[in-house]
Amino acid sequence: MSLLEVRALSAGYGPVEVLHGIDLDVDHGEMVVILGANGAGKTTTMRAVSGMIGRSGSVTFDGVDITRTNAEKLVGMGIAHVPQGRGTFPDLTVMDNLRVGAYARSGGIAADIDRWFAVFPRLAERRDQRAGSLSGGEQQMLAIARALMSHPKLLLCDEPSLGLAPLITQEVFEVLKKLNADEGLSVLLVEQNANLALKVAQRVYLLETGTVVASGSAAQIASDDAIRKAYLGA
Amino acid sequence: MERFFQYLFDGLSLGSIYALLALGLVVVFRGTGHLNFAQGEMAMICTFVVWQFNDWGVPLVLSIILGMIVGFALGAGVEATIIRGVAKKSQAGVFVVSIALFLGLNSLAAMIWGSLPPEQLPGLFPDEPDDFQRIFGAVWRYEYIGVLAVALVLMGLLFLLFAKTKFGLAMRAVASNPESARLAGIPTGIVLASSWGIAGAMGALSGTLWGGIVGELNAGLMFTVFIYASAAATLGGFDSPGGAVIAGLTIGVGEQFLAGYFPGWIGQEMKLSAALLTIFVVLLVKPSGLFGSTKVERV
Ligand SMILES: Nc1ncnc2c1ncn2[C@@H]1O[C@H](COP(=O)(O)OP(=O)(O)O)[C@@H](O)[C@H]1O
Ligand SMILES: [Mg+2]
Repeated sequence: MSLLEVRALSAGYGPVEVLHGIDLDVDHGEMVVILGANGAGKTTTMRAVSGMIGRSGSVTFDGVDITRTNAEKLVGMGIAHVPQGRGTFPDLTVMDNLRVGAYARSGGIAADIDRWFAVFPRLAERRDQRAGSLSGGEQQMLAIARALMSHPKLLLCDEPSLGLAPLITQEVFEVLKKLNADEGLSVLLVEQNANLALKVAQRVYLLETGTVVASGSAAQIASDDAIRKAYLGA
Repeated sequence: MERFFQYLFDGLSLGSIYALLALGLVVVFRGTGHLNFAQGEMAMICTFVVWQFNDWGVPLVLSIILGMIVGFALGAGVEATIIRGVAKKSQAGVFVVSIALFLGLNSLAAMIWGSLPPEQLPGLFPDEPDDFQRIFGAVWRYEYIGVLAVALVLMGLLFLLFAKTKFGLAMRAVASNPESARLAGIPTGIVLASSWGIAGAMGALSGTLWGGIVGELNAGLMFTVFIYASAAATLGGFDSPGGAVIAGLTIGVGEQFLAGYFPGWIGQEMKLSAALLTIFVVLLVKPSGLFGSTKVERV
């Protein structure tokens, strides 16, 4: 059984349905990417999975049906979500951001903070600065470190590259790839930069106006001519 | 020089009461982004509750603690049952609701306690005519020293709560980014209700201290204090607890200096207008207040 099983997931905002019945799996230790154009419903998918918006269908995590579970309970069960754009607490210091990340658990928090400071040395230098004063790249790293403070089994990461310089994006992806490879962290990633995503992910879902139009291994997708034309600009 | 210290001492004591109520406004604003116009009336009701317990024979200190608990429940209850639902639909609705609460609580107090002869709230501290200490030649009444001490201790505790506890961290996180706070596992509903509750409890204390100084309770007890507290919160910045305290003390002292040195120029009635003018000018010139962050615009 997969770690995350999403079946016939529908969700939207008010009367407007954005997702029209999505099936999606993330296996233990797998890194999966959702590709799709702007407005396809990628962020909505992430928000529906983590319970931030109302949803119908079913979501099962680690064998437990979480379709009706509150968003604030999920982090304790092992799902951490880095939302698009605003994953940090701008008025809090870097240290406090990381402490908030550990809100749902206790013990070994100082050691964990040191660990992420070792992975992201630039955060260590700015530990007492307000998160809002960090650069975009630093904020994204902080958002990811903050999410990882909860010891998740599954990390949902929504467009971590948004607004970042290519070099910084590279760095962020290196970290995600390493966590996935070395520690078996499962990752569900949303990305617009398909070339980049296909290099790190093992499996791909293609989303179009709230529907999965294609899925397969990264290699399959990367070699499909029609998809290459539509999404990879080549 | 004697007069200077006299006005300074009196101003600090009275200002600490304004600061307490202003801090309540700031805690609510930081937590939920709303201005609670009923803050003063909630404090007034709680002061009557304190009087009522005391009248039933409960010792005053215990009555005050009970009054603060009622204040917490009232604040948290109002947020969870009325404000949250309205805020989802319209921010302006919250404004209307808090005005309605203001009026409702005011008539409620008049209904329950209005027909009795004016209630006398005993002061928490000795206030016989000779209960004072001379410092720098100025008379510092024990009552005023006590008020200042209690207010400062409570503010200190509040700052510790904010800065040093896990709950304080959660409150700051919810204020900074509610969505990510939820994703981090913080029960945002409980945190928001608690910030209204804390404001309610602080209002209860502020009202009781003020009631002890005034002596007689009536439904209009907190009206002036609320205007001063609003001026303090505006001047200090609605999202700055430290600013509210400094501005509250400053307004208290300023009030005493103005009324003391220029008794003809600015009398008792004019002091209120001066406070309202302060609010008005600050909102025009620097809406974020002296210590607030610039993102405060929805006032
Ligand atoms: N808060 C919202 N309220 C109403 N509609 C929204 C909201 N957020 C997104 N939408 C709509 O839902 C659709 C999908 O958006 P989104 O999931 O953000 O797409 P993506 O992340 O793939 O760019 C879009 O048409 C968008 O306009
Ligand atoms: Mg998106």
